Amino acid sequence: MTISANWYLLLAAVLFCFGLVGVVSRRNILVVFMCVELMLNAANLTFLTFARQQGTMNGHAIAFFVIAVAAAEAAVGLAIVIAVFRTRGTLWMDEVSTLKN
Amino acid sequence: MDPKNLQVLVDVNLKSVAWFYPELWLIFGSMGVFILDLVWRKNRGRVRLLAGATLIVLACSGAALAMQPADAVSLFNGMIATDSFANFWKWLFLAAAALTVVISSGSQEFAPERIGEFFALLLAITLGMFLMASATNLLMIYMAIELVSMVSYVLVGYRRADRKAHEAALKYVIYGGVASGVMLFGMSYLYGLLGTANVTEFAVKLAALSQGFAGAAPGAAAATKLALVLATVFVSAGIGYKVAAVPWHMWCPDVYEGAPTPFTAFLSVGPKAAGFALAIRFFFGAFAGKMGATGLADSVAGIPWPAVVGVISAVTMTLGNLVAVVQTNLKRLLAYSSIAHAGYMLMGLAAVSATGMQSVMIYSAIYLVMNLGAFLVVILVAQSTGSESIFEYRGLARRHPVAAVAFAIFLFSLTGLPPFAGFMGKMYLFYALFERIGIPGGGWYATLALIGALNTAVSLYYYARIIRAMFLDPPYEKAAPVEASPGGQLLLGAFSAFILVFGVWWNPIVNWSARSLQIFRG
Amino acid sequence: MLLTAVIFLPLLGALIAAFLPAGEPGQHRGWAFFVTLATFGVSLALWAGFDSRPGAAEFQFALKVPWIASAGIGYHVGLDGVALLLVMLTTALTPIVILAAWSVTERVKEFLIAVLVLETAMIGTFAALDLVLFYVFWEAVLIPMYLLIGVWGSQNRLYATVKFFIYTFVASVLMLIAIIYAALHAGGSFDYLVVRDALRVGADAQKWLFLAFAVAFAVKVPMFPVHTWLPDAHTEAPTAGSVILAGVLLKMGTFGFFRYAMPLFPDAALQFRPAIAVLAVVGIIYGALMCLVQGDMKRLVAYSSVSHLGFVMLGLMALTAEGLTGGVYQMLNHGVSTGALFLLVGMLYERRHTRLISEYGGIAKQVPWIATAFVVVTLSSVGLPGTNGFVGEFLILAGTWLGRMPGTQLLAVLGATGVILGAVYMLWLVERVFFGTITSDENRHLPDLSLREAFVIAPMIVLIVVMGLAPQPFLAPARPAVDRLVTRMQEADRRLRTRDPGRPPSVGGQQPALALEPTTAPGALAAMPPAGGSH
Repeated sequence: MTISANWYLLLAAVLFCFGLVGVVSRRNILVVFMCVELMLNAANLTFLTFARQQGTMNGHAIAFFVIAVAAAEAAVGLAIVIAVFRTRGTLWMDEVSTLKN
Repeated sequence: MDPKNLQVLVDVNLKSVAWFYPELWLIFGSMGVFILDLVWRKNRGRVRLLAGATLIVLACSGAALAMQPADAVSLFNGMIATDSFANFWKWLFLAAAALTVVISSGSQEFAPERIGEFFALLLAITLGMFLMASATNLLMIYMAIELVSMVSYVLVGYRRADRKAHEAALKYVIYGGVASGVMLFGMSYLYGLLGTANVTEFAVKLAALSQGFAGAAPGAAAATKLALVLATVFVSAGIGYKVAAVPWHMWCPDVYEGAPTPFTAFLSVGPKAAGFALAIRFFFGAFAGKMGATGLADSVAGIPWPAVVGVISAVTMTLGNLVAVVQTNLKRLLAYSSIAHAGYMLMGLAAVSATGMQSVMIYSAIYLVMNLGAFLVVILVAQSTGSESIFEYRGLARRHPVAAVAFAIFLFSLTGLPPFAGFMGKMYLFYALFERIGIPGGGWYATLALIGALNTAVSLYYYARIIRAMFLDPPYEKAAPVEASPGGQLLLGAFSAFILVFGVWWNPIVNWSARSLQIFRG
Repeated sequence: MLLTAVIFLPLLGALIAAFLPAGEPGQHRGWAFFVTLATFGVSLALWAGFDSRPGAAEFQFALKVPWIASAGIGYHVGLDGVALLLVMLTTALTPIVILAAWSVTERVKEFLIAVLVLETAMIGTFAALDLVLFYVFWEAVLIPMYLLIGVWGSQNRLYATVKFFIYTFVASVLMLIAIIYAALHAGGSFDYLVVRDALRVGADAQKWLFLAFAVAFAVKVPMFPVHTWLPDAHTEAPTAGSVILAGVLLKMGTFGFFRYAMPLFPDAALQFRPAIAVLAVVGIIYGALMCLVQGDMKRLVAYSSVSHLGFVMLGLMALTAEGLTGGVYQMLNHGVSTGALFLLVGMLYERRHTRLISEYGGIAKQVPWIATAFVVVTLSSVGLPGTNGFVGEFLILAGTWLGRMPGTQLLAVLGATGVILGAVYMLWLVERVFFGTITSDENRHLPDLSLREAFVIAPMIVLIVVMGLAPQPFLAPARPAVDRLVTRMQEADRRLRTRDPGRPPSVGGQQPALALEPTTAPGALAAMPPAGGSH
């Protein structure tokens, strides 16, 4: 039995929504980062689905690059999180709010 | 894969290198500066040496750019294009980077031990902006934006001991991550619907897709249209985030305040301009198909995109200006003012015309100088007084007349008063809007122009507040004396001269931007 | 070239002044005085060379060079008679202002540079024949004026200068977008002559364009109800600032109506004319009434400006040869007489450091020369026959009475009450300040006019008398420009009437002998009686 491409797209969309909702609603910085990764992977899944559907390689190539970029982004992000944790001793978004109007 | 095809692919890539020298200089220059940073670790004059090396790299890149043949060429199998349009922006980026290097080498915000990293990373951002201006493939667009963003995250958090800096970097990385995730998701749908990642083919594919709507079942057509609209909106979010347009502007004031001031200055002119370059190429070069009144609307699912951009523009400038009115920290004030200026420039985008593009290019060039100049004064004053509060500017006209007069020139220019260069920039933006009023359904352009004009008046209010503090208020008794190095004064003088000269004689910029208007088309 | 020299001579002087040592105020004063006097001298050549015969070119001393050719912007300057008169007023007033500002001791260099830059901007505004050029000069006035009030003004200067700046800027931004719109609908050229001839816009668009221009000009005039910045700005400005403000800057607004708002958009102008005329009359009476209750001399003179400029606007809106000529003449008169009043008030202020009327009283015995000058200037301001004020006000009221605007005679009558009120408040001011018994001991030892002050005020007195007794040389240059505007407005009136046959003719005078009745082709203008001879 083959699963139609639409199911993959749907899965990707759901993942993306989880990610977006999580970024907005979760207050722990690490969880927020994981949600961002979720969004990126949702995009990857969509790229792959369409690439399979159309029989081209572009989508696969893009997905590889995105994985690499996401890794780099996570590295930079975690480094910054560590720096914040060192100066403030917290991982909660609400407590990192010196900058205000 | 067929070995012959592979051979062709490799050949294309090798040939493309001939047009890639400016970028290569930046890539290897960035690495070189990292190495020199280690080599000159104990050298006393390392700040100057490293700044000199970075400037040399930029100059070499510029020389390579100048020697490049002027024709429009697609490189690396359609990944990027080089054309006179991209070159215009590349010159701006080089200028922004070079000026930032000069400004930051005199700034105390950078410890001499670590300034090498800053310069090297600055070169990397410049490379990213180069790629943003010339990317013609979804993957390349994403990579270029990420390159600029990621290095920016690092540099915003550059001051290790500063809580504000870390917080700013954290906010930047989260907002940036979300924006790039959203954009990527939108891109994946564009890729799926259009069957290609090459934006120069979008116009054709969109036309084909639209024709397909007629024959398809109503439900399927509606679903496709919805997907197309969502994808476009998502991609715009990524670009809107780069130019700090409302509602993707929230990161901007915090990041600007937390970053080292020279880098704030750079952020406000460099990546923002790169965002506009990308937006123009993406929306006009790819989506608009023909440069027509309704080209954009026809091609993407019948939504009046120019009007959407117009609304974003109006909201962006209004919010930026209104919030700027109540700021007392000059870095934050300039951050909101830069949001407002993004709004002005979006007016040019909303015009969806050659003049509109040209006006955005002209404004970016002028904005580069006037905003860098304004930040330079903020840096000078903050170095002497240790604060960016507007109260430190009281009586600046007596404490340091050169800085005060130069700052006044920059602020008047930002307001758009003649005879300063900002005036002509605004005039061209308005001009672009008015050209479009006559088209069917173009009446809203008049409203947009009116909103732009009123915003200019609002902006005068807060700029004039600074001028009033400098010229009309007496200094505090204990106000620290403001000192500027001869180099800093020279730079202020040069910026002011630029603003004044191009305020009355702007032919060169206009002609240059007109010549650069050829966008690479498939 | 001559005109360009006049425009930029002060700016050149300011540039050179920037390199003179700041610690030598005397040197700066001398230099600025010399530069402005030289500018006046060169402008006399304009005066002498101007051909005011009816067949002469509309814009003389014209110079047109491409500036930003790609956008249709050119450096185009030239003078018609009205602009010539206003340029002369500017170049004549500025040296006087600098002489009067000898007493400024704080930051002399910057002060004089500001005045010189201001002079260039003012002359440029009158001389520009390109809309962008005009706008550049128009806005360039703001910054030096902002500094003049803000740095050298009195106690409440910050509020006043910010109000002045924002008021005028907001209004002129609207004008900028109207300029761009108009240029785009006139073939993409910003040249005034091209726009005037080639502008093709619908009736609605023309209304909006006219309003955008009119609001910018009305704020500058200032017309009721957008006049509120004026009393503050005048009161807080230093004497030099007040004189320039009253003498020249306000005329930029009325000149704008005369040169831009009405000829560019004649149809819309005719439609808004009754409203503007009514506002002008309201301004006349309101300004006069406000004068009656002021305790501050400068504020009183400022409100009298609102009243006087109301007369000018009424004259312009009458659209008869007499009214327009009177309006133009009254612009000059107001520059001279109100400028002189501000100078005299400034002199009193320097002696007593107060502007309150109640602090004075009976000082005519101590300062007989100042009192004499003040009385002469007052008589000019109230329009006594034999002074310049009479000529202007009479022409305006006669022109309005003879006009064809609906209700024009009522407006003339109401305007005339303004003349009476003017006499009341001015003479009452003189009485309270100079006559009666001395009430304050501080007033017992006031020095009279110094030699410098005598040189400041003497030219003004001479002008008042000369312009009152021999107005013809000043009226003659304005004539061709006035006639052209009347013709233009008549054409517009005819257009409106063909569209709406029930509409009565509204431009020109009621009596065929005086006005330009239907025969009017441009060539017929030569047959007009001299406008100044009608009284």
